[in-house]
Amino acid sequence: MQVMTELFARIFGDGLSPVGLLVAGGLTMALVMSLVMALCAIVFTWAERKVAGFIQSRYGPMRVGRWHGVLQPVADMVKILGKEDIIPRDADKRLFQLAPFVIFVGSLMAWAAIPFAPGFIAADLDLGLFYIFAVSSAASIGILMAGWASNNKWSLYGAVRGVAQGVSYEIPLALACIPVVMITGSLNMNDIVIAQQGGIWRWHFLHDPFLFVSFLLYFVASIAEVNRGPFDLPETESELVAGYHTEYTGMRFAFFFLAEYANLFLVSCIATAVFLGGWQPVFGPVFLPGLVFVTKAVLLVLLQMWLRWTLPRLRVDQLMHVCWKVMVPLALVCVLGAGIWMLATGQAG
Amino acid sequence: MSQYLRNIYDAVASALKGMGITAKHVVRKPVTLQYPDERWVLPSRFKGFIINDTNLCDGCLRCAKVCPVDCIYIETTGKGKDRFMHRYAVDYNKCIWCGLCTEECPTFACQHSLDYDHALYDRKRLVYEFVDPAHPVPCHKERRLQMGFFVEQVAAAPPDPDKIAKAPRRADLPEAAPGADGGKEDERGR
Repeated sequence: MQVMTELFARIFGDGLSPVGLLVAGGLTMALVMSLVMALCAIVFTWAERKVAGFIQSRYGPMRVGRWHGVLQPVADMVKILGKEDIIPRDADKRLFQLAPFVIFVGSLMAWAAIPFAPGFIAADLDLGLFYIFAVSSAASIGILMAGWASNNKWSLYGAVRGVAQGVSYEIPLALACIPVVMITGSLNMNDIVIAQQGGIWRWHFLHDPFLFVSFLLYFVASIAEVNRGPFDLPETESELVAGYHTEYTGMRFAFFFLAEYANLFLVSCIATAVFLGGWQPVFGPVFLPGLVFVTKAVLLVLLQMWLRWTLPRLRVDQLMHVCWKVMVPLALVCVLGAGIWMLATGQAG
Repeated sequence: MSQYLRNIYDAVASALKGMGITAKHVVRKPVTLQYPDERWVLPSRFKGFIINDTNLCDGCLRCAKVCPVDCIYIETTGKGKDRFMHRYAVDYNKCIWCGLCTEECPTFACQHSLDYDHALYDRKRLVYEFVDPAHPVPCHKERRLQMGFFVEQVAAAPPDPDKIAKAPRRADLPEAAPGADGGKEDERGR
């Protein structure tokens, strides 16, 4: 927002009061972030289909657009805009209509604290990391709303699974980030990135073995958190049709999709900022920070897609077993281990 | 405890192994054939749409008689030297691709083509006409020779299956007679 408010201050001079500057900057930033989310959905739906295709020795979409079906998402969007908006007769209409937007807003709010480049952060919060985890859990409410309001057994099962999974995996997700907070001594996303200055060896995931394990835990938990394969139990086609968005059509369905891919990019952005050095390049001075950041995040997204199309889906009990009996204890061991490491190497203040 | 750690190791190792396998699939050439642009090389004896080469056909009606589903419609007029074939149509709605007509045909006029993709919006258009009513085909041997058509002896051997032409597109041909398939019009549309 800093960038935006400065920009507006330069354009309008003294014509805008500080409050006006804040509002204008905030709105612009919100618009930019919404566009980023929409762009995510467009690019990643195409990328996912291509990745899925190549992994299965197919091509994926090839016909729309001149090269490798690049305009496929545009065609899909036009198609989905023309779809009828169906609300089931016995659905709870208000909740049904509201649910996709709750999920979307939950995701959009978390974007506020992602540092794409020095100064390019919508809200430079002191509790940035905490804020992100707090608001991104609002998606669980949206999922439950969608499942309950649909008045459909598959939707409800999907929603219950989605929420149980989301709530459970938030714990290892947040625990895995604690060692990083211990090292930087700050929850501010900017500070966390700046602490990783000076090449790949200064990035947090290579700080010590415990942080490396923490990074892996974060990565696995983040896949579960965004309800994607191999943890896509909320929407298992074979048993629940499509899970909590079974009854949704048209634009409302598109919002679920938008939120899924935006969340996918969001967790990758958090991983990039917290573990992979944010906008810091692999070596040398800071160069095109925004591009470096987005490249790292996109590579992580591709890694998640690769995993999704490789591994079979887990069973519900296995999912909970992995979370509570493996990942949470391991994350706690990592917190302890990172603390001991800091003491032993004299980094503890 | 050791089993617990081994399980974690196995999970990570097998996930990595699986990812290695999928990575190999990414770099290898996709097996997909881009269908409308690329096509399979069909075996020469592929049972495609039945076609009739009117240069060879002398209207002996054997194919129509042997057809178990009566999908070949032949209309002739006259007798002896003045016998002409005005219509030779194959109704692909009925055809079961049994190939009996091709085996029965003495002049190898009736053959399977290598053609298979004729999706249409109207089933009536699946009745393919092979004779232009304006130019009826002579049936008598002498008249055939006189008019430059092949006779039985000339086509004593079956044609090379690879060289059999595609079935003519319906658009190239005159419109099928209404009710040519012998059934009522489909009330439900297409």
